[in-house]
Amino acid sequence: MTTSTVTATPAPNPLPPEPDGAARDHRGSWLPNGAMITTRIMELRKRRGLVIALVFVNIGVPTLFLAVRLLAHAVSPHSYGPAGGYDIFSTLVAGVMFIFGFIVAATLGCTAGSVDLTEGMFRHLVVTGRSRLALYLARIPAGLAIIVPLVAVGFTIVCAVCVFAAPTQLDYQGVTVPPGLSHSAFESWAGDHADEVICNFNYNGPMFANVPCGNGPGGGPGVQVAPGGAVPQPTSPATNRAQAIKIADQDYTGYSGHFLSPSISLMVKAGLWIELYAAIGFLVGLGLASLMGQRTVPVILLIVLEIVLTPLLSHSPIAHLVNVQRGLVGLAATHFEPGGLPSVFGGAHNGGPGVAAVTESTTVAVCVIAGWIVLWTALGAWRMVNRDA
Amino acid sequence: MTTTTLPAPSDDQSIESQWAVETHGLTKRFKDNVAVDGVELLVPRGCAFGYLGPNGAGKTTLIRVLLGLTHADAGTMSLLGYPVPKHRDRALARMGAIVDEPRFHAHLTGRQNLEILAAAREPAARTRVDVSLERVGIAHRADDRVSKYSMGMRQRLGVAACLLGDPQLLILDEPMNGLDPAGMLEMREMIQSLVAEGRTVVLSSHLLDEVERTCDAVAIVDHGKVIRQGPIAELLAGSAFVLQIDCSTPERAGSLLAGTPWGAAVEVGGDGLRVDLAAGTGREVVAEVNRLLVEGGISVYRLQEIHASLESWFLEVTTRLGDPQ
Repeated sequence: MTTSTVTATPAPNPLPPEPDGAARDHRGSWLPNGAMITTRIMELRKRRGLVIALVFVNIGVPTLFLAVRLLAHAVSPHSYGPAGGYDIFSTLVAGVMFIFGFIVAATLGCTAGSVDLTEGMFRHLVVTGRSRLALYLARIPAGLAIIVPLVAVGFTIVCAVCVFAAPTQLDYQGVTVPPGLSHSAFESWAGDHADEVICNFNYNGPMFANVPCGNGPGGGPGVQVAPGGAVPQPTSPATNRAQAIKIADQDYTGYSGHFLSPSISLMVKAGLWIELYAAIGFLVGLGLASLMGQRTVPVILLIVLEIVLTPLLSHSPIAHLVNVQRGLVGLAATHFEPGGLPSVFGGAHNGGPGVAAVTESTTVAVCVIAGWIVLWTALGAWRMVNRDA
Repeated sequence: MTTTTLPAPSDDQSIESQWAVETHGLTKRFKDNVAVDGVELLVPRGCAFGYLGPNGAGKTTLIRVLLGLTHADAGTMSLLGYPVPKHRDRALARMGAIVDEPRFHAHLTGRQNLEILAAAREPAARTRVDVSLERVGIAHRADDRVSKYSMGMRQRLGVAACLLGDPQLLILDEPMNGLDPAGMLEMREMIQSLVAEGRTVVLSSHLLDEVERTCDAVAIVDHGKVIRQGPIAELLAGSAFVLQIDCSTPERAGSLLAGTPWGAAVEVGGDGLRVDLAAGTGREVVAEVNRLLVEGGISVYRLQEIHASLESWFLEVTTRLGDPQ
């Protein structure tokens, strides 16, 4: 055997030649390849517990709620209203799917961002020589490929039930009103149904008509006659009609926000809106979990952010902290809430019935959302690249 | 550091660096603790190279530095001729490694775990999943979840993961851990077959007997420093050895040999005469002992050289075990 001494320093060599196929092996590239994304999807969707939780919250909860309503309405249609309709749609979308969609997406993001490290696979992956940035970025399309369809399926079920099981009559403040009336048509209808309007509709102004309403359910501005009390002199039908038209004029804005079922435009916008927020939740969860190197604490932090902090800080402006409030991603997301949906956190949105609390411009809202996505993605990627494996 | 000889690269590798692993002054500190202290390591290509050291000596840390799992504080290194960290991706593309206990996604099957790792490698790696599983002997359990694997099976899966890239260099950290005797034998044979294919295997282990059986050359590391390295045969050749003598009159033979310069210690026991020969003593002394005894009228039935094992040599050269300072 030929021998050489250890202390001999080999002459500097040029780089070894590249083997066949090396040209197609972009291992140092920061871009993940399709196979990395595909296998990452496989890794995530094989997590049975996580997927069950995702499906349950995104699809199971709204489906169960609607199924119970469908059943109840089928059994006793007089006691239980229709399962679908505009009101149910807006409640489910703004009250459940928006908030819980964020939470489950954040949970998925936290899982995708931490399990390689906690389960010991990160080391194997680094040793392949693949760019760590590519390893991180592969998680983004993989996670979105799971959460976006799940949210879409749940939302489609909600839309389908709310459209096909919508009520046939519009109930506005306890009165059955024809849907889709124009302002003048609504006033005209109110004039024809003066007593109902006066007794049931909300009105903030001077009353010049006397209508005995008894103990009607509406609690409207009509004269309430106490037992044994003197009955006021009823006003003429013409006066009542004029009063009803005045009330209808004031209530038209509220009425115009009520529909039998959600419009296609509203459904498309609402769908995109909750998908946007779920995507934000995933990306923030991914970055935070990669940064912290674990799953549980980031999930808890994001749940606290969504369930406690954001509603708390969105209800009313706090002096000197209003810019911090505007920095909440949940509040910024509600800025893009489609008009016609109730405000999620009490924040401002475009033309909806919610009361504006902490307001911000569209530019600020866009910057806040982009900032959250970029910041957490950058922090997560930075930690992934520099972390000891 | 002791200077000794190592095999030269074969001709077909001459266009590349002769060393599979080459480090100069490699240092890694954890605050005040110097885990890797100016390591000068040269691993020749095409051999099984043992990397030995007591617990906490810095074996795994050096491997982690080489693989880019953590950063070096000082020094230079190259893998398969590629200077790293500059060309680490190219070097790692031709390498496979297990560091510490091999852990995988427990909810996935062995095959699915390998598919994830193959996806991060070159496209051809995806075609090697089945071959790798077959080679390490777990193809029949490839579609079972890793959570159902024994420690030994996870070790094999780790080796299969190493093979995905058709590596020229494998770095295996304690690959025998968790293996039963049959598994250790299979692992040893597999390592030897990999070396026979021209690959280099760096084996970090504390199982000295296994290293001695498996490896051609070793480096001993202690307190973060490489204190000896070279082919095992050459390293052991320089150590003391024992001559076991079975003869007609052991007591008389003992007194005869006690006066000689090379008989460092003579001891008569139930199994005959035992003579400790000093380090550096050549084999010609054995013949000299035989001649002396025969000329002294003593019948010699058997002479047996008992060389130091790697274990005893390891204990001799490391400060932590056997001879604490």
